[in-house]
Amino acid sequence: MTQPPSTPPPVNLGDSSPLLPDGFAMGDASSSASSEAEQPIRRPPRAWFTAIIPILASVLALTLVVGGLSLLGYPAWGLVRRWVHGAVGNHIQIAASLASACPLLLTGLAVGVAFKSGVLNIGAQGQYLLGAVASVAIATRFAPPLPPPVIVLLSIVAGITAGALWAGVAWALERYRSVPIVLSTILLNFVAAYLATTLLHGVLQAKGTSAPQSAELGPGLWLPVLIKYTNLHVGVPIAFGLAVIAWFVLRRTTFGFEMLVTGANPQAAALAGMAIGRRRAQVMLISGAFAGLAGAFQVLGVAHFMTSSFGNYGYAGIAVALLGWLDPLGIAAAALFFGALDTGAQIVEESSLGLPHNMADVVKAIVILVTLLLAGWAARHRLKQRQGD
Amino acid sequence: MSTAHVSLFTFISRQAVLAAAPMILAGTGELLAETAGVINIGIEGVMLLGCISAYLAAATTGSGALGLLAAIAAGLIAGSLFALVTVIGRADQIVAGAAMNLLAVGVSGSAWMLFQNARANANLPTSLPLGAGFAAFSPAWADHLPYFGPVLLHQYGLFYAAVLLAILAAIALRYTRAGVILRALGDSPEACEAAGVGVKRWRFGVLLLAGACAGAAGAYLSIMRTHTFASDMTGGQGFVVLALVIFGRWRVWGLVAGCLLFGAVNSLQQSLQTLRYTQHSAIMHALATLPFELFQMLPYVVALVALAILSRSAPGPRFLGIPWQK
Repeated sequence: MTQPPSTPPPVNLGDSSPLLPDGFAMGDASSSASSEAEQPIRRPPRAWFTAIIPILASVLALTLVVGGLSLLGYPAWGLVRRWVHGAVGNHIQIAASLASACPLLLTGLAVGVAFKSGVLNIGAQGQYLLGAVASVAIATRFAPPLPPPVIVLLSIVAGITAGALWAGVAWALERYRSVPIVLSTILLNFVAAYLATTLLHGVLQAKGTSAPQSAELGPGLWLPVLIKYTNLHVGVPIAFGLAVIAWFVLRRTTFGFEMLVTGANPQAAALAGMAIGRRRAQVMLISGAFAGLAGAFQVLGVAHFMTSSFGNYGYAGIAVALLGWLDPLGIAAAALFFGALDTGAQIVEESSLGLPHNMADVVKAIVILVTLLLAGWAARHRLKQRQGD
Repeated sequence: MSTAHVSLFTFISRQAVLAAAPMILAGTGELLAETAGVINIGIEGVMLLGCISAYLAAATTGSGALGLLAAIAAGLIAGSLFALVTVIGRADQIVAGAAMNLLAVGVSGSAWMLFQNARANANLPTSLPLGAGFAAFSPAWADHLPYFGPVLLHQYGLFYAAVLLAILAAIALRYTRAGVILRALGDSPEACEAAGVGVKRWRFGVLLLAGACAGAAGAYLSIMRTHTFASDMTGGQGFVVLALVIFGRWRVWGLVAGCLLFGAVNSLQQSLQTLRYTQHSAIMHALATLPFELFQMLPYVVALVALAILSRSAPGPRFLGIPWQK
């Protein structure tokens, strides 16, 4: 652990647009590009500013999708009413929205922490899947003769470890073979998916089925739920607690500061004596651990078994991290929003309207693209204003 | 072409070329974009949009040509949206690319379900009408050519277009003014701007081309090779293409070789999956005990190993992924 510099170097803390830290691009000109351009030091944007852009983008995206569907002849008001009711209509639906926000929040944190530190971990999907596999393996097949709460804990630890180790593979490939993390993680996602299916077809397969799925967990191994007849499990508040801890670590500790600086300006970080290589390794492990935990919670808290198609939360986490401005608390808000969108869309699909739940993905994608555009535009506007002073 | 009278080696080679064709097409577009300094990880999504657009257009109009045009149009639209955000808006390319993938999953999934519902309500089949898809060439004289006849001359039209495009791109990058400009856009955009070459205009243009290529590659998957649509039919090929561009060190020949290698490993694993149950030898018996997912995993592992071996010596365009601002 290196000492914090007595006077922080003048760096961009990565909060401002263009949304991601400077030490981030793939080409080797990234650091020189920012220094050559003699950019003024960017200040973090104000809180209201970071909040208003995603909200604007969300409203715009929802209007576009609902407007488009009403052009196709679907009743706009009926659609909105069902969607909102499905998302937050009663305490059952609110609990469902919270529960579907949980994996999004954890994979969002996985991506957010990595991106914020300049590590392009696109591999949350693979880390999430292997986390789920490890968790279900402990819970169904390799449970030691111990009381159920201990097995649940072990299962969670296994999920976290598997996620972190899978992320570690990508880190090692970069460290020792110079394979860019953005590429290795993309490919490792596919390897992980097939590995998971292999195991679910093989050693983890439930008796009496030919499908790639595990046995069901005994009820003693389910995470307790907070509200009866819902899947609002104890993992949900834990995930939100982790978001607060992540926020605190990033904003208030030396370790977090070094992560931010490594992401914002690797040159400055190196000059200040920070161990960039070690930070990248730690960031990758933490990131993988978050994704693995998402998998474990999904197994223990929601599904109670595992199949080869176990959700795309790892990919969705990229969107969540972005919409949350790579800030843990923002990511929590974004996960809540996306979770509600998904839960509502599911109800719309089951309703008489029969609209596809995939429309939620369209909304999410438009939200991100509009956020990117607005954030860039606003940053340039502010820059011009300051230069005009 | 009947497969009964060709040797196994010929058969696997032909399957490899069949699988490589869309990747060569989409990969050449991506390679040109990356040469100009823009990386689009949303290429998988653009291919998927091409798949669904081609299928819907061909299924409703009964014309394969219109299907192909629809896929190219979808690619152009997706390419211009990506360019609007990354080149004009100067947003981060990785994030915008991830959003494009999400958009494609949402749009294609929604469109497919709405199409199925509409067809079911009208009591119409959702399958492609006869003649609405493309058939592969099968000239009788080609069978007389040993090996190359069955492998190269029994392919879909788009394969030849892809090869032509790759050759043109390789020549253009090396010998033409446009090629020099493209390479300079990725290595030294400020020099381009100083020389009076509009960086943004060129990057926008090359992203349109890349989008059209990826869209057409999608059409290849849905209305040429399979005559069906499935929501996961691109199966990660767009992501593999990204790896293969680096594998080929941003050279067209390297990319084409990578696509053929990937196609070969893929067709080999598919053949092995069936052969291990029908052929009786010690090796096949050993292979038969392995789960088939391990075979499906093989191409991705090969891509990773290839990257691990080659990546160290592969300096890409200097300004890859960095938005340009005056």
